[in-house]
Amino acid sequence: MPEPLLSIQNVVAGYGPIEALKGVSLNVRGGEIVTLIGANGAGKSSTLMCVSGLLRARKGTVHFDGADITGFKPHTIVEEGLAQVPEGRKIFPRLTVLENLELGAYLRRDKQAIKTDLEKMYHLFPILGERRKQLGGTLSGGEQQMLAIGRALMSRPKMLLMDEPSMGVAPILTAKIFATIRDLNREGMTILLVEQNAHLALKIAHRGYVIETGSIVLEDKAESLLNDPRVKEAYLGDDD
Amino acid sequence: MAGGIRRAVIVHAGWFMLGIALLVPILDPLLPLEWKIAGHMNRIFIFAILGLGLNVVTGYTGLLNLGIAAFMAIGAYSYAILTCDIYPFRLGFWSAMPITICIGAIAGVVLGLPTIRLRGDYLAIVTLGFGEIVQDTLKNLDNITQGTQGINPLPAPTFWGHALNTQDKVAWYYLLLAFLALVVLVSRNLEHSRVGRSWIAIREDEIAATCMGVNPVKAKLVAFAMGAALASTSGGIYAALFSNSGEPGNYDFQISIIALCIVIIGGMGNISGVLLGAFVIGGFNSIVLDKLTTLLQQMGMVNTQNVLTVPGNWKYMIFGFALILAMRFKPEGLLPSRQLKAELHEAEEDERAENARGAA
Ligand SMILES: Nc1ncnc2c1ncn2[C@@H]1O[C@H](COP(=O)(O)OP(=O)(O)OP(=O)(O)O)[C@@H](O)[C@H]1O
Ligand SMILES: [Mg+2]
Repeated sequence: MPEPLLSIQNVVAGYGPIEALKGVSLNVRGGEIVTLIGANGAGKSSTLMCVSGLLRARKGTVHFDGADITGFKPHTIVEEGLAQVPEGRKIFPRLTVLENLELGAYLRRDKQAIKTDLEKMYHLFPILGERRKQLGGTLSGGEQQMLAIGRALMSRPKMLLMDEPSMGVAPILTAKIFATIRDLNREGMTILLVEQNAHLALKIAHRGYVIETGSIVLEDKAESLLNDPRVKEAYLGDDD
Repeated sequence: MAGGIRRAVIVHAGWFMLGIALLVPILDPLLPLEWKIAGHMNRIFIFAILGLGLNVVTGYTGLLNLGIAAFMAIGAYSYAILTCDIYPFRLGFWSAMPITICIGAIAGVVLGLPTIRLRGDYLAIVTLGFGEIVQDTLKNLDNITQGTQGINPLPAPTFWGHALNTQDKVAWYYLLLAFLALVVLVSRNLEHSRVGRSWIAIREDEIAATCMGVNPVKAKLVAFAMGAALASTSGGIYAALFSNSGEPGNYDFQISIIALCIVIIGGMGNISGVLLGAFVIGGFNSIVLDKLTTLLQQMGMVNTQNVLTVPGNWKYMIFGFALILAMRFKPEGLLPSRQLKAELHEAEEDERAENARGAA
């Protein structure tokens, strides 16, 4: 089995007295979409934040692309090639769409290539091209999500961390965003996708993990999880 | 659409103002005595440089600094010590100025290093304390700083062997204007540089900025250093202009507050706004009040026994009142940066949208 691109080992982390992660382990291999599903407060965002450096791991290690990145500052982790689409999007509301995208490429110095990548983003999400002069905060929720994805891609990452891209987005746009995620992956992008919408996430993912109150309780191929009775009952509702 | 027109107007107004500024020394002699302003403009230029320094820290990076006057003092005293005959260095203006600017930048880093991780209000308090500490230190070191007398006389800049003296008013005017123009250019370039974009990103959302790869500690330190360097420049020029370091009390909290008013009333994060702010506030401070005092004196209405009749004594009350009015009616300043305008009108728009939804 090839060495995973991202490997989280026994990570314990929390906020003050609250222990949000109680020893989480998870692997993502190059070229995969791996999804982490779970209920509100299960520790999905905390797991991502431990990878992106926004939350310090009290125990355990995070390895990325062969390097130990445990305890790295967020900005150095971006330099390592890990970009994130954070929960709630966190775009710059008072900067234009274009300025948001340019900040995504902050660490790059190849001006010409940045320009071509901008065009790529406008091709990927035509609405961003139409709104390039508009302030980020005036976009709709779904458009902001696209902007957050485009901004993360502008750093030309080796891997994307995405936290609930379906949150606050209308179903039609959600479908479009998930199709884009799958396309990005087909072109080679490795993705760790956190979702509450387990059905959508498992449909495009290769593998999945289920987290409950800070611990991984299940791990399997995505289609197996889709058919797992425990997952069906807890996360997929009764509609199928 | 409207934005483009507005920008064109501002650009034209900018050239127009520059034209006027260039013509002032030529027109000034033609004006009757009580209308002369050229002499006052020097102070306005110096305040504009100070304001542009503060604008880097507070306007671009969003770090409230209440002690910018300390860096102006550091600039003035550095220049004085480097040039005055009573000290061993005895440099000329052109060699002392770059060193003065570097000392300012270093002082900025020294203040920045321990404080950079503080947020908002805490940082404001620490910078305020720093301003007081610098002033007290200068007071206590009176065997070096010459106390209230100030370090003097100081050499003036020389041009091809000719030293400007206080009589060369026109030359001084253009020299200060040239310095201001240079500082404007530096500010512009900074704003559009990589580090400038990282400042704005931090001001907008620090966590999001770090997720773009911005190192916030480094970016803030550079902002502190640049802001302090510009403030130090204003201090060095101030000392050279008056041929005196001034006394520590010249660089007190009120100077920091005037600089802050210039940046806030002019428009945070916008160079033209800061220039306009310096002109409005500096103009009020040194032209309007001054002329008013002379006028009242001529009318025999100033009574030295009664402090209330001296307009200068009303200065800070009028400033305070102007600030309150500005915050109430034009919180983004006279010429706001685009982002600031967007933020302050978001609330209004939300309200409007609410109302529209209610009506539908
Ligand atoms: N800043 C914080 N301070 C204190 N506790 C926090 C903080 N952020 C999260 N927590 C707690 O940590 C636990 C895990 O939160 P986390 O945000 O990782 O959950 P999540 O799985 O992303 O949930 P959601 O689906 O609602 O986004 C929760 O119990 C939450 O209350
Ligand atoms: Mg979450």
